[in-house]
Amino acid sequence: MPTRAVIAALAMGAAVVPAVAQDAYVIGVTGALTGPVASTQAPAMEAMRIYVERVNAAGGINGKPVRIILQDDAAEPSKAAANAKKLITQDNVVLLINASLSSTYAPTVAEAKRAGVPMLFASGVCPKEVYPPADPLQFCTTAYASNYDSRAALGFIKETATEPVRIGFAAMAIPLSRGEMDFAETQAPALGMTAVDKEVIPPPTPDYTPFATKLKDANANWVFSWAPWVTQVRTLEALRRLGWAGSYLAWSHLEAEGELARLKDARFYVLGANSLFQEDLPIHREVAEAAKKANAAYPGNQMAEGWIAGMVIEAALKSAGWPADAAKVRSALETVNVDTKGLRGGRIEWTKDNHFRTRQYYRVYRWDLGKSAIVVAKDWAPYDVK
Amino acid sequence: MQLVVNIMVLAAIYALIACGYVLVYRVSRVLNLAHGELMMLGAYLLLATASLFAGNPLTALAAALGLSLVVGILVYVLLMRKMTGEMVLAAVLATVALGVLLRGAVILVWSAQQQYPAQALGLANPPLELPGGARISTCAALLIVATAVVYAALFVFLRFGRWGVRMRAAGQSPLLAAQRGINLHAVYALAWSLSTLTGSVAGMLIALDSGLTGTMVVIGLKAFPAALVGGLDSLLGALAGALIVASAEVLLIHYVDPLLSDVVPFLVLIAMLIVRPWGLFGTREELDRV
Repeated sequence: MPTRAVIAALAMGAAVVPAVAQDAYVIGVTGALTGPVASTQAPAMEAMRIYVERVNAAGGINGKPVRIILQDDAAEPSKAAANAKKLITQDNVVLLINASLSSTYAPTVAEAKRAGVPMLFASGVCPKEVYPPADPLQFCTTAYASNYDSRAALGFIKETATEPVRIGFAAMAIPLSRGEMDFAETQAPALGMTAVDKEVIPPPTPDYTPFATKLKDANANWVFSWAPWVTQVRTLEALRRLGWAGSYLAWSHLEAEGELARLKDARFYVLGANSLFQEDLPIHREVAEAAKKANAAYPGNQMAEGWIAGMVIEAALKSAGWPADAAKVRSALETVNVDTKGLRGGRIEWTKDNHFRTRQYYRVYRWDLGKSAIVVAKDWAPYDVK
Repeated sequence: MQLVVNIMVLAAIYALIACGYVLVYRVSRVLNLAHGELMMLGAYLLLATASLFAGNPLTALAAALGLSLVVGILVYVLLMRKMTGEMVLAAVLATVALGVLLRGAVILVWSAQQQYPAQALGLANPPLELPGGARISTCAALLIVATAVVYAALFVFLRFGRWGVRMRAAGQSPLLAAQRGINLHAVYALAWSLSTLTGSVAGMLIALDSGLTGTMVVIGLKAFPAALVGGLDSLLGALAGALIVASAEVLLIHYVDPLLSDVVPFLVLIAMLIVRPWGLFGTREELDRV
């Protein structure tokens, strides 16, 4: 495993080359390849790299290769801003990708707007600016969407709960996670739930037990967490160690599939918009084989987000033609319509006013103790994005 | 009761990490700002030995501890020894560079993925029931025990051990110690290896309790105020500092605002620097030297 990881990391490093003459579509990425959310962001970027390498090996797009320039920002806003500036002004990228923590969004968007370069959020949470009426320069391929996720989550809890819901919330101390848990807290009473506690947990923290103790003491029988995986899962584990027997709903990040199997907790639910690889659809097999062939440092079942981003980039660049500039790529992104082949519940379909998708589908999974396998707790449920 | 247990666990984490800062500073006057990274490396070494000795956790643990000692010696021999005679600031900057190097190396070798050494070793981490309805995980309980054992061993070693006395002598006056025939390089190498070992024990137990990612270095940084509050040249101070910082953190999380947990260690540190800059048990002379 370490050897494979080194090879993959070196391969990733090889992609980080300065753009020379524009003989290729040049795309810049600022991503959290290290830092507190790297376990979610880095696999996505590796998947996107593998996808693009496959495209290049098959002759590129419109006869031209795609060159990805990858810069680590360690989830730090100042580094992300410096990366964005460098990618735009020195490397002349036609598309800037953010694959990092939400706290890096504002500075990278500012740089992109100054230069008129379109921005794609390809791994982190979708910002509100991609919803109708969308910001002309911002697009998002990822599964998770603020506010819609909470509505779906609370709806699931309401349907599933067999007794009055006393709900606690767990957020990471970053803008979007806190904002989402604030939103969910305001929505809960309208659904007949009592919001009993909300913990905002700094990343990273040595021991999650003090936060879990408060949630348990508040007598919550459900906890909803919408945060980077490390916060979600460590809060759950701390609660369980305290003897808390309630139900826990978390966002289905890339790590979810492996973690459901590791924890084997029948009352731990994950809600998301991507299908899990255990369903073994043809696209799942294709991604897993590509990851294996590329000696990826991350398992194939963590590649959905990056693969979907790759599909969208391919479609947009194909539509933009050659030679392409930032304006042409932006126009092309506005008409993207990609079939994710089952990786995602529904298509990625963008319009001039909607850079998220017209309909978002959610599915909930959990571990079934009897079957000793992951099962669907609630099948695809659509939410119109307006 | 649960609050007390939470304070004890956090204090044990901070104390175990802080004693590494103290050991190196007390002997060589160097602030080791790569201590968090060395702690993390120790945890990753356990992950590596876990795959080598699957099904034999004690061997894996012993091998990882042995490797940690070697890493500490290598850090001194290959890097810090070159700083001998240079300004202290140069040595501190060398540790910063070492930290950056280790962070990158860990990502390259083990990736950014969340890892679970306990799973690799086949170890369970069941919670233990305590009087008063409190609960503690087995690994957290072991962490408290390990902290007590490490501190007791260090007190005995430094007071009665031949090399412990040499370490104290080198810390008080390197010149006189050298004139008395003490091999300073050996003493410094021992201090670095013990510091890395204690940090690694903390890293391993934290990783066994709740998993492992590259972000563990930040936990190392959060323990630094505990060492400063207690006095950077005092092991007893590190213990007291850890208890004070952990108590403030847990109580403020519980009664005021969880968000404060990130800043509490540094608020306590600032308060201490205003009132008693050399720390609770530190000596004024040592501070002046800094």
